[in-house]
Amino acid sequence: MIVAKPILLAEDNPRDAELAMAAMEEQNISDKVIVCHDGAEVLDYLYCRGSFKSRSKGNPVVIFLDLKMPKVNGLEVLQTIKGDTNLRSIPVVMLTSSREERDLRESYALGANAYVVKPVEFHQFVSAVKELGAFWGVINEPPPEVSRSAK
Amino acid sequence: MESATNNEPQIPLSQDAESAGGETCLDVPRPYRLWTSPIQWFRSLTIERRILSSFGLVFVGILVISMVSYRNASIVSVNSSLDTRSHELVQLLTDIDVAMDEAENNHRRYLITGDVLYLTGYRSVVKQKPVFIRYLEGLAAGSVEQEERVGLLNRMMNRQLAAEAKAIEQLDGGGFEAVKEIALEGAAKDELAEIHRVVGEMELYEREALRRRVLESAAVTTNTIVLLGVGAALQLVLLASVYYLIRHDITERRRVAEELQRRGELLEAANKELESFSYSVSHDLRAPLRHIDGYASLLRKAVADSLSEKASRYLETISASATQMGQLIDDLLVFSRMGRQEMLRTNVDLNQLIKAILNDLRLDLQGRDISWTIERLPDVSGDSAMLRQVFMNLIANAVKFTSTRPKAEITVGVDIRNTEEIVVFVRDNGVGFNMDYVSKLFGVFQRLHRVDEFEGTGIGLANVRRIVHRHGGRTWAEGAIDQGATFYVALPTRRIGS
Repeated sequence: MIVAKPILLAEDNPRDAELAMAAMEEQNISDKVIVCHDGAEVLDYLYCRGSFKSRSKGNPVVIFLDLKMPKVNGLEVLQTIKGDTNLRSIPVVMLTSSREERDLRESYALGANAYVVKPVEFHQFVSAVKELGAFWGVINEPPPEVSRSAK
Repeated sequence: MESATNNEPQIPLSQDAESAGGETCLDVPRPYRLWTSPIQWFRSLTIERRILSSFGLVFVGILVISMVSYRNASIVSVNSSLDTRSHELVQLLTDIDVAMDEAENNHRRYLITGDVLYLTGYRSVVKQKPVFIRYLEGLAAGSVEQEERVGLLNRMMNRQLAAEAKAIEQLDGGGFEAVKEIALEGAAKDELAEIHRVVGEMELYEREALRRRVLESAAVTTNTIVLLGVGAALQLVLLASVYYLIRHDITERRRVAEELQRRGELLEAANKELESFSYSVSHDLRAPLRHIDGYASLLRKAVADSLSEKASRYLETISASATQMGQLIDDLLVFSRMGRQEMLRTNVDLNQLIKAILNDLRLDLQGRDISWTIERLPDVSGDSAMLRQVFMNLIANAVKFTSTRPKAEITVGVDIRNTEEIVVFVRDNGVGFNMDYVSKLFGVFQRLHRVDEFEGTGIGLANVRRIVHRHGGRTWAEGAIDQGATFYVALPTRRIGS
C-alpha cells in the first residue's frame, strides 16, 4: 500500500493549527497533515523518536515551521534540519506572524526555502495556506528519499 | 495614508525662537562687565577664546620684549663702533702730536747742522699733514666740539709749518746767523704748545665719551637681561594658565563624555527593550486578531444557512475590525522601525525620487484629472529610502485629499530661504484643513477627517515628521478648509548625525 508522504505543520497555537487545518480541508489535503506543537516534537518526528518511534519511515514532503515555539524555537529547528545531511533536502517554509527584517534575514541565512507571513485576514490566510499546500504537497516534486541504510 | 490634510502651524517655529534666544544670551558679552571685571569677562569666554587670548598675550609680550631687546642690542652695537673710532682718533692724535714734535725738531736740527737729511724728515711731515687732517676730520665728524678743535689744530699746524718754512727760507738767504736765535728757541714754540694742548683736550674728550658709552652699554645690557627675565616669567605664567585651562577643559570633556556614554548605554538598553517589545507585538498581537477573523469566518460558514442578514453583518463587522486593528499594528511597527532603523546617508536626487513615486502611484492616478507642477529640485543629503517614504506620503496625501475636486492641482516645489536648509513643499487644492488643529497633524494616528470621508490610519505624517527629524530637519503645514494645503519639509544642507 502506498502511503502519501505527509506534510508536517509545526504550530504551537492550537487555534492557528485549527485554522490552518480548516484551510487544508478546503484543499482536501488535511489527512496528510501532521501537526507538531513545539520544536522538540518536530525533531522527535524527523528522528523517529519519542512518541513517533513507531511511525513509518520517510521524510515529510514539506515542513511548515512557525518561528516562535516553546522548548525549541523555529530557527533552532531550521538550523538542525539544514545541518543534517539526511534532512537538509526537505523543503522548509517559515509560516509566521513576524514581518521583522531580522527574522527574515536569519531564516534565509539558515537555509529556509520560503518565508510566508500569516495574513491577519482569514480569507487571505486560507488562500495562502491552500496555495502553499497545493504547491509543496502536490505541484512540487519532493527530493528523492535518502537511503536509510546509509545511517 | 494618514491624516494628511490638516494644518499645523508649526512647533518648529517656536523651537527656533527658543534656540535663537539661547544663543543670544551665550554669545553677546556685556560691555560694562568687560571693564568692571576682566576676570569675569575672561570666564564668560569659551575655552577656545580663553586659550586664544592667552596666546595673544604671550605673543604680544614676546613681541614687545623682542623689540626692546633689539633696540638695546643696536645701542650696544653702535656704541662699540663709536668706541673703535674713538680709539683710532686717540691713536691718530698721538701720531700727530709726535709728528709735529718731529717737524719742529728736524727743522731745528737742519737750521743748526744744514744736514739735508733733517730737511727731508721735516718735509715728510709737511707732506703727511693734509692726510692727518683729513683722517682727523673723518673721525671727529659728528661732534661739534671736536670738529672745532680739529679746525683749531689745523690752523696751529699750518702756522707752525709756515713759521718753520719761513725760517728755512731765511737760512737759505742769510746763513746760520740769520736764524741762530730761531734755531735755539724754535720757530713755532707757541703753536706747538697750543697743538699739545688741543691734542690733550681732544684725547680727554674722547676718553670721557668712551667712559660714558661703556656705562651706557652696561646699563642697557642690564636692562635687556631684566626684560628677558620678566618676559620668560610672564611666558611661564601664561603657559601655566593655558595648561591649566586645557587640563580643566579636558577633565570637563571627559566627564561629559562619560555622562554621554552612560546615557547612550541607557538609551541603547531602552531601544533594545523597545525592539523586543515591538517584536512581541508583531508576533503575539497579530495572532489573536487572526483568530478572531478566522473563527468569525468559520462560524459564518458553519451557520451559513440559518444566518439572518443582521447576524451576517455583525460577523462582517467583527472581521473588519480585526483586519483594521491588524493594519494599525502594522503601521505602528513601521513607525517604530522608522525611529530605530539605521540611516544610510547618500546624495539623493529629489527629481528622480519624485519621478519614481509618480510612477508607483500611476494606478491610483487612473481616472483622475490632476495638473502637476513639478519644479526643478536640488540634491539633498539623506537616506534615500526614508526620503522616498516622506515624499510618497505627502504626494499620496495630496492625491487623496484632492479626490473630491473635479480638477486637482498639485505642486512640488522648492523654497530656498537661506543656505542653512532646503525647503521642499507639496501643495494641493484639496479639502484643506482648519489651522486650529495644525498641531495635531503630525501626531501618530491623528486624523482630521472621518474614516468614511478619507481612508487611512493616520500614521503617514507621523512617519514624515519622524524621518525628517532624524535628518535634522523640520516639518510644518499651512492650509485652510476647502482651500488646499501645503506641507513643508526643511532639510539641513549641512549633514547632521542622527
